[in-house]
Amino acid sequence: MDDIGIFLQIIFWGLYAGCIYILLGTGLNLIFGVMKILNFAHGEFLMIGAYITATVFLFTGINPYIVILLSMLALMCIGAVVERLCFRPILGTGKLNEIFLSIGLIYIFQNGAAMIWGDSWQSIKSPYDGITIPVGSLSVPLDCIIIITLTAVILVALYIFLKKTRIGREMRATSQNRKGAMLIGIDVERIDVISFSLGCALAAAAGTLWVVSGQVFNPYMGSIPVVKAFAIIILGGLGSIPGAIIGGLLMGIAENGTAFFLGGVWKDAVSFIILIIVLVVRPTGLFGEKKG
Amino acid sequence: MNFRYYDLKRFGLAGAIIIAAAMPFLSDNMFLLNLLTLMLISIIFASAWNLLACSGQGSLGHAAFFGIGAYASTLIAVQSGLTPFITIFLGAAVAAFIGVLIGLTCVKLKEWFLAMVTFGFAIIVQTLTVSVLAPITGGWDGMASPRLLSPTIPGYQLIEYYVILVITIAVIIVIWYILKSRIGLAFLAIRENEIEAQAAGVDPVRYRLIAFAISAYLAGVAGALQIHHIGYLTPELYSVDNSLWPITYVILGGLFTIAGPVIGTIVLTIIWEGLKATGLTFGRYVIVGFILILTIIFLPKGLVNLPERVHMWWKERGRKEMPDGLQQ
Repeated sequence: MDDIGIFLQIIFWGLYAGCIYILLGTGLNLIFGVMKILNFAHGEFLMIGAYITATVFLFTGINPYIVILLSMLALMCIGAVVERLCFRPILGTGKLNEIFLSIGLIYIFQNGAAMIWGDSWQSIKSPYDGITIPVGSLSVPLDCIIIITLTAVILVALYIFLKKTRIGREMRATSQNRKGAMLIGIDVERIDVISFSLGCALAAAAGTLWVVSGQVFNPYMGSIPVVKAFAIIILGGLGSIPGAIIGGLLMGIAENGTAFFLGGVWKDAVSFIILIIVLVVRPTGLFGEKKG
Repeated sequence: MNFRYYDLKRFGLAGAIIIAAAMPFLSDNMFLLNLLTLMLISIIFASAWNLLACSGQGSLGHAAFFGIGAYASTLIAVQSGLTPFITIFLGAAVAAFIGVLIGLTCVKLKEWFLAMVTFGFAIIVQTLTVSVLAPITGGWDGMASPRLLSPTIPGYQLIEYYVILVITIAVIIVIWYILKSRIGLAFLAIRENEIEAQAAGVDPVRYRLIAFAISAYLAGVAGALQIHHIGYLTPELYSVDNSLWPITYVILGGLFTIAGPVIGTIVLTIIWEGLKATGLTFGRYVIVGFILILTIIFLPKGLVNLPERVHMWWKERGRKEMPDGLQQ
């Protein structure tokens, strides 16, 4: 009975940790789908989102679950500027350039944040800290339930946006065939900006959830989650959003399982080991779209 | 205009070697000498990264090879009592061996995927160093490393500088020779168009592995030199920051060129140390980030390309001054 309890606990914490990776991974996937770039600086948007949430919460005391809207909005603007000024001039000049550009962005965002907020580790306490709700044999913190619900709401909203609205349809068209989309009169550059901003907003939401869940953050924390998000979208298949969701859950569970059985040092390394195994064995991912 | 910018290359090369050799005599400042030594090591590191990039593989985890070279060399020196002058090359061989293993993992991967795997690899190596291997590596605390030359020798820093200068020049000559040879041509072919290269009889897997081995070896040499120069090593060697520096140097100087890493390292080191005087801490990195992005957008071939760009601009300018009818 005790073993099953621990097992459930690991799965549950994995689910909860997975939420942040799912949001980050979905954002990356969205940007990759439309623009065919993978931004290594995506984790920095998570970091900025985390700091915005923490700052607003500490100064005004507004519930951080409401601040999520503000941080998403702020990151949408930052994302639009970054796309317009940095990525658009070099789009199509080679994949290596895009990697190097994101390195420049990493330098700017990490140290810019360090200039504003300092470089020490920080954390804040959620207003619902300590409240737990019994679910079956487990007692689950209220924050976990809110975080999982919030992630689900954001994903459903994204799904509806992509399926039902005009811009969403244009984004899917661009992602399927950029030239074809141009031919039927879609302004692909506008779609680029919108999808980049949306991806950034999802990263900001992930940042807010990171802070609210009581995890520590500093300006340099973004680079590890982003590579984990890469691992997830490769696990799930590039461009596949359901794949990113399942990949995120698997990653969260694997990470927490390893941390429990092998010790906390291995928490980061395990995601890269998974990434390498997936890349070597099945580069298209578990749910990868077949290339035509 | 009698001045030809092609002459820059010849004069630049001769001038650079003379200045590098004479530098310690211009100033007997120990701080400056130390800085120059570290700069030479960065040049080796950046050149090693650039060699791998020449075969079309942009690594984001070169700190792994840098660190493996340093750790292996130190451990061999401590265990066997050999002088660091020999263990540098043995430690680098360990880095090259691991480099081939990583290369084998990456044979089918390109661009983003390669970048991610190498990035993750540096973190895996760091994790191994501080967990499983902690009893021999000293974990997070690191360990003392034998000095290249004992500090009791008079003028040991000066000798060290010249030793490292000779190694740096040797490394650059080796890289120049490799890039000029058939191997270099094969790298170029793979980088530009892999399918065509294959059709022309170039085996991409083989040359990718060669690039990984040589690049990891040279990065290992750089790591071992740095650690024997400083005399202490920590797992910080594997940090992301350390992986990104050579990339920044090469991009600024000029990707895929031999002079690029050298010029990039020198210019950026001067900027970096100059900014130190202004008292900025994080601001320096922000400025480096802006320099990197501006270089990628406005000077994609790096500073090496600058004289040519100025030359072209000069010629264009002359043409525009002509009457309209003569332009075409």
